[in-house]
Amino acid sequence: MIDTLGQFLIFSTQGFREFLSLLKDTIVSLFTPRFRWKETIQQIYFVANGSLFIIGFCVSFAAVVTILESSYHMKLVLQNDSMVPGFASMLILRELGAVVSSLLLTSRVGAGFAAEVGSMKITEQIDALRMLGIDPIKFIVVPRVVACTVGSCVLTIIANIFCLFCAAIICETYLGFTFGMFKTAMIRFVGFQDLIFAGIKGAVFGSIIPLISCFFGFRCKTGAEGVGLATTQSVVVGSIMIIVLDFILTYIFSYFY
Amino acid sequence: MKIETKVGFLFIVALIFIIGFAYTLGIINPFSNYHELTILYNYAGGLEKGSPVRVMGIEVGKVKSIEFDPNGKSETGEEVKLKIKIGISKKAWDTIRKDSRFYINMAGVIGEKFLEISPGSLEASPFDPNATVRGEDPPRVDQLISQGYGLAGKLLDIVSKNEGSVTGMITQVDKLITNFNKTLAMLDKTSKNKEIERLINNLVHISDDLAYLSTKLRSEKSEKTFEVLNKVLMRIENLDGPALRKFLQQEGIKARMF
Repeated sequence: MIDTLGQFLIFSTQGFREFLSLLKDTIVSLFTPRFRWKETIQQIYFVANGSLFIIGFCVSFAAVVTILESSYHMKLVLQNDSMVPGFASMLILRELGAVVSSLLLTSRVGAGFAAEVGSMKITEQIDALRMLGIDPIKFIVVPRVVACTVGSCVLTIIANIFCLFCAAIICETYLGFTFGMFKTAMIRFVGFQDLIFAGIKGAVFGSIIPLISCFFGFRCKTGAEGVGLATTQSVVVGSIMIIVLDFILTYIFSYFY
Repeated sequence: MKIETKVGFLFIVALIFIIGFAYTLGIINPFSNYHELTILYNYAGGLEKGSPVRVMGIEVGKVKSIEFDPNGKSETGEEVKLKIKIGISKKAWDTIRKDSRFYINMAGVIGEKFLEISPGSLEASPFDPNATVRGEDPPRVDQLISQGYGLAGKLLDIVSKNEGSVTGMITQVDKLITNFNKTLAMLDKTSKNKEIERLINNLVHISDDLAYLSTKLRSEKSEKTFEVLNKVLMRIENLDGPALRKFLQQEGIKARMF
């Protein structure tokens, strides 16, 4: 048991060191010419445009659940649900929009990146790139990190506003609050900085997704099983990292409210 | 459509959403429709930047800024250290006059603070934009509670020092109330007695008769009668016994007098 624990610790430490090394190389490559604009825009299209429908669909249901649940609990505790639009708006902007979007991106984009890089690794395409004198980090990781950071930021903003819009519709349909009442209550609780912080959260979550996916892709073992494992690990670790980073960012942003 | 165009569209949509959100929150307002007014207070009672401003209960603007001014003074020379700048919709601007009052009020389940403006009278002139006016400081609940505690302490002190007197006083008051209740019960019983009812009816008749008589006595005829009687009495007053007898004999009245 002690052997297993020791192996786990060594593996984790080594893995963490490799991840930090990947992060450092990515940051350095980000600021060294030439930047692959075309590849980056293609990746943004894959990340943002490709995920727009799924994220919009999911956040609209998240808005419905948020409104109905907050209404139920407020009626239970306060015998009054007049604060539902305000509280729901705050919850959507501060947490729901960014976290739901990023978790969906992890499962869609992160898994895709891990599988793509893993396949390149096992088919020795990455070694071929190195032989050709092309830095695989600059060639593969940097465009994906930039695309995912920018795409996730944009998607988070769109998801937040769309989610608020859906919440307003649900409030009008089920709870009888007009759009004006929703807006008034929302303004009482929500500030413009909430949307900015949501965008920052989206960008941070977006930057971590391709890093983790590429990290597991580079460590992919041979065979279809290796690719599957890398994909699973990237999604699991990515989701965990999003939750942890959400806590850290929320804690930091709490000083600015 | 090219991929670059589609990505560009997405970015434009995000930018429109951001601008729309900022416009909804009132952060950017290119079609500004507000006049500003500075209100001076010494205590803001929890009012915040962005709190609503209402006239007759309708939201017409927002608190734009709250500034501390340690050397601030009102037009009357009073020291006022808080400057609250508010934006008021041009639609509502004319209803706010120089005799309007500016209260800090509270509403909603969570006690949201807002600035309530009472509409002024038509005789008073409207404010000029960017004018400065003294607001009504809200009552300080903390001070009220503190004073309440002080009062309660004094009352307890008085009661504990004069415990015997207070107990005696309460007993006396209790007896007084008991007796008063008994008296009321007796009066109630008495008012239902038939003899008393008859007595009251008779009293009513007597008072009616007296009223009739007093009305008659106030008539012109009665006044003349009184005058004649007065004259007769004046004449009689100076007469002695034999003279009076003679007077009555002259008048043909036979009476046994004196």
